[in-house]
Amino acid sequence: MQKERKSAEVAVRVDGLSKRYGSIRALNGVSFEVRAGSVFAYLGPNGAGKTTTIQILAGLTERNAGEVSVCGLDVSVDPVAIKSRIGVVTESSNLYPELNCQRNLEYLGELYGLPFSTRRERALQFLEEFGLAEKRRQPFRSLSRGMKRRLTIAAALIHLPDVLFLDEPTTGLDIPSARSLRALIQRVAKQGTTVFLTTHNLAEAENLADDVAILIQGRIVAQGTVEQLRNKVGEAKSLSVQCSPPLSPEIAKRGCPSVREAHLKDDVVRLEVSCLHSAILELAELVKREGNTIDQLICAPPSLEDAFVNILDKSRETARDRT
Amino acid sequence: MNQWMRAFFVARKDVESYYGKPPLVTWGLLFPAVMILAIYLKDRTGYLDVAPGIIGLTLLFGNTSMAAIVVTFEKRTGTLERLLLAPLRVRTIVLGKALSAALYGMATSSVLTLGLCLLLKMPLTRPGVFILGLVLGGGTFSLLGIIAAVSVKEVFEAMTLLNFFRFPLLFISGVFMPLSKMPFWILPVTYLSPLTHVIEIIRTGVHGDCTFGCLWIPVSCALLFLVASCILVVPVFRKRATR
Repeated sequence: MQKERKSAEVAVRVDGLSKRYGSIRALNGVSFEVRAGSVFAYLGPNGAGKTTTIQILAGLTERNAGEVSVCGLDVSVDPVAIKSRIGVVTESSNLYPELNCQRNLEYLGELYGLPFSTRRERALQFLEEFGLAEKRRQPFRSLSRGMKRRLTIAAALIHLPDVLFLDEPTTGLDIPSARSLRALIQRVAKQGTTVFLTTHNLAEAENLADDVAILIQGRIVAQGTVEQLRNKVGEAKSLSVQCSPPLSPEIAKRGCPSVREAHLKDDVVRLEVSCLHSAILELAELVKREGNTIDQLICAPPSLEDAFVNILDKSRETARDRT
Repeated sequence: MNQWMRAFFVARKDVESYYGKPPLVTWGLLFPAVMILAIYLKDRTGYLDVAPGIIGLTLLFGNTSMAAIVVTFEKRTGTLERLLLAPLRVRTIVLGKALSAALYGMATSSVLTLGLCLLLKMPLTRPGVFILGLVLGGGTFSLLGIIAAVSVKEVFEAMTLLNFFRFPLLFISGVFMPLSKMPFWILPVTYLSPLTHVIEIIRTGVHGDCTFGCLWIPVSCALLFLVASCILVVPVFRKRATR
């Protein structure tokens, strides 16, 4: 499964991609590049056009305009050649429910033209690597959701693709399953496979991705490395406060006009603020007034989530101004 | 590995997964067997006139049901999308699906024929012609089943859509009586049914003589229906499979 990392090359190139469904414009002049061997996170709210992009890149849906190439090949010219070099994990775990785990992987190996000995050997190897060796004789339908997801990813990798598309891979999984799946994605990426990831979980994208593009209403509104996007937010805009007795997030939000959102987690209140300086002053006043004492105050650097919310807000403001 | 081999793998997987499904056993085996037994008990000599029609009917119901179940079930579970994501041409997928359905219909028809020959002493005068009928019918009905199934989402919808066509075919295709005994006004419609020609080939295989006088007429017509289904199925599948 080990591959050479080729970060200078481009694995996926999209230029001016547009797609319409009737009167709805799903993608509007989308352009980006994914470096070979990198993890690329494609972020956006529901209905932004992420799945449509993957469907076009995987040769499932035809585009209306634009240029699309995967591994240097045009998707519309030779879809079969491209499909043999990519692996796709769709939103649902869509393997064959009545076939057992090993047979599912071997069948996918057959479809990708692997010789008998290779597909058997690789199926057993992947079942071992993905922690499913004991379940190899169990039908796919009897597996837990997390196991189904792992086997679906294993199936997408059976032919050692150059590019792996993952559409919302951890959606609906419990925390341990999601964490183990993220570790697995990291391992796949380290072995040299280019990973194209769509997710709603921004912490996940921050943790896994080298490069990020944010898609809103069919347009790319920001792209770059995680660091570059974080820097767009400017100053730190998150505060974590621990008080004795604990401060209620509702009181914090009510008492400090600069606080936009407040959440309590393990006695620590995380505050999303519009202006850091004012928020700290307001908080000091509030704590004094309420009779609390501050045990800990952390001024957190902006996360990818902060960057995403910031970009989303700006995009909405721009849309409002246009109308 | 070429696309033919991959079509074979698709068909083999379908055989593994779907041949034991209850709707296939009831429509493919139980329904024709019970029907032929009922006719035999009513008229112990006249059943021979009806037997080729029932074999053709088994082929029609077996093939179309198998195709409908495979395609709609896979569409619902998302596994059809997985096939579309694999490096397979649309015609490879269609060929694989049609092959598994055709094999099922031909197998159930053969089991029924074997039972009729061994238990009820039905003759098989021209076995080669009989097999030709099964092959041509198997191919055409499987492809028609796929065309119907790919347009809907649920198995029951596919069955309802198919029954809308299958039941009228029972009456116009010479299933229960030879074409020579059918009213003249219905004959023009009769010739438009692929089942008519398949049953005529099967009847020739069983009895040795063809109602059309020349065997090449039903063979050419059945072949024409097969070619038309082949031409129609790929664009319909390409358009509908991902919806």
